[in-house]
Amino acid sequence: MPNLRNSLSWSLPRASLRPVGPGGVSRLLGTVVLALGAAGMVLAPFVGEAMFARIWGIEPLTYVGAALVILGLAVTTLSYFVSELLRSRRQAADDETRFAERWTQVTQQYFDLFNHDLGRPLRRILGKEREIREQLQAMGADVPSSVRELLDEIEEQTPSFRLMMSNMQVLIELETPITGENLHAVEPVEVVRRIVDRYGLVAADASKQIVWWSEPTDFGIVYSDSSAIEHIVTNLVDNTVRYAESFAEIGLTRDESNFHIRVWDDGPGIAARYLPYLFDRGWTPEVARHEERTTSGLGLFIAHTLAKRYGGDLTVESTIAPDPDHHTCFMVTLPLHTKPGRKSGEPVA
Amino acid sequence: MPDSKILIIDDEWESAIVKAVQRRLQDEGWQTIIVQPQSQWLVGDEFEDATIYAIEDERPDGVLLDVRLGEHRDDQFKGLEILRQIVEHYPTLPVLMFTQYAQGPARDTAVRGALRWNAPVDFIDKLASPEEVVLRLRRLMGSSPELIPIGAHLLVDVGAETVSARRERDSALAPVTDIHGMKFEIFRELAAAWYRSPGELVPFSRLERYSEGEEARASLRVRIREIKVSIGKALGVQLGANDLIVNVRDRGYRLAPPQV
Repeated sequence: MPNLRNSLSWSLPRASLRPVGPGGVSRLLGTVVLALGAAGMVLAPFVGEAMFARIWGIEPLTYVGAALVILGLAVTTLSYFVSELLRSRRQAADDETRFAERWTQVTQQYFDLFNHDLGRPLRRILGKEREIREQLQAMGADVPSSVRELLDEIEEQTPSFRLMMSNMQVLIELETPITGENLHAVEPVEVVRRIVDRYGLVAADASKQIVWWSEPTDFGIVYSDSSAIEHIVTNLVDNTVRYAESFAEIGLTRDESNFHIRVWDDGPGIAARYLPYLFDRGWTPEVARHEERTTSGLGLFIAHTLAKRYGGDLTVESTIAPDPDHHTCFMVTLPLHTKPGRKSGEPVA
Repeated sequence: MPDSKILIIDDEWESAIVKAVQRRLQDEGWQTIIVQPQSQWLVGDEFEDATIYAIEDERPDGVLLDVRLGEHRDDQFKGLEILRQIVEHYPTLPVLMFTQYAQGPARDTAVRGALRWNAPVDFIDKLASPEEVVLRLRRLMGSSPELIPIGAHLLVDVGAETVSARRERDSALAPVTDIHGMKFEIFRELAAAWYRSPGELVPFSRLERYSEGEEARASLRVRIREIKVSIGKALGVQLGANDLIVNVRDRGYRLAPPQV
């Protein structure tokens, strides 16, 4: 692992190697004018008196020379300062980008290391829990429900841990500007399917049902960032499985310019006064109620930030009403980017 | 897909978490082969050689491959190097990458690097449940098997176009006689979707193809009711509205294995 201080330092750009720009040209002109002015001032006293008598205006040569000197000095000085200002601004922007990239790279390396090291004991705990479950099953003994619940609790915490680690990774990545390289062919149906695979068992253990569908059935591919879509939808589904009463539904649709992912649950609903804060960093319903927090409040913030970052949006609609009308519905809208090299508006699938 | 052969390459092959996955794959009817390097030194290169030899010798139907093979820094992404070789030499062999880095730069690097977007390669993190691993491998290896077991009590034979139910009296599988033709097609469609992804809903529009007459929805409803009555009779239980085939919010149907 590289030393952080060394990794974040960089050498100053070598100005001497920079090509001559517009600042250099004006400085050159200024220098020529300055030289002409100086020459005029120096030569003026040596021109004979007779010539002074004959040539009207030879005396003003001194004044012209002096004026050219002043002008030359002004142009040279101004061009120097202007070009320095432009160069330092450009360098500051380059340094900032380079710093952000290096910061992300180094933090990512540390994160990978911690992720791996944290994952090791967790894998051991999870492995042992699954082994205990199998041994109890093999013994054929009646397992007390309290023991089963304890084992289920370990298993149910796993998706939360996986999501927490992913969210940390996204927070690191958010510090770096995105480029077109992030876009590639993605099957949104496959992304949603993966997420339902992960949360289906957790939902079933909590006697909740989670289903998904797509319209059209053969949804096809889109050009997007699969990692970003997965982060957005995972955070929404994690949230929805937590608050749903008994049912959660994920629907995928598309129109000419966007695709939409709708995450619906039959939970108690969110009060209208809380909706404006829902996507704020660190906000959870417990914060409003001054209760102990059960989640980090980062999930919806990350989902909203990522959707905006990729030119889309995340909106919410919620109703508090008597059974069965209460619900919450999140709607993600993301653009159908064109494949690199295609003309805008050309179909992608 | 019973009798399939799965190759497992993981430097923690003796850990409880890998063993649990291995047992679940075997429950699925798949044969598992764990790749163990001959050398006592568990370095990435040893795994690389052993994996390539094992693929040539065993001709597996799928591969479960760890990304990190060994603790040395050079071995951090050794699995991705092995993956590139597999994709180059065996482009149709499904590979499920078993990793701590299921999302983010490692996956993106792999996808953008040597892989085509449609290569049969997927990533799953090591904390995934064994059921999740099985679902991913099923989809990677092809989602239309000839035999689809639905829980412990039902079996759909796609080739023979039969649905068998486990009888209550002797626990033997016996065909449900009156599910054939369009009723079989409806049930097969639901079973295939459930096998691919248990949460997947089959929209009415897809199932209405197997209905007749102007009232396609009503006809579909009748056929679904008849399927449930036939299977319920074979299992010796009465199936309610939320058993076996469930209507989801008037959008479509999904399968739920019967709790007998």
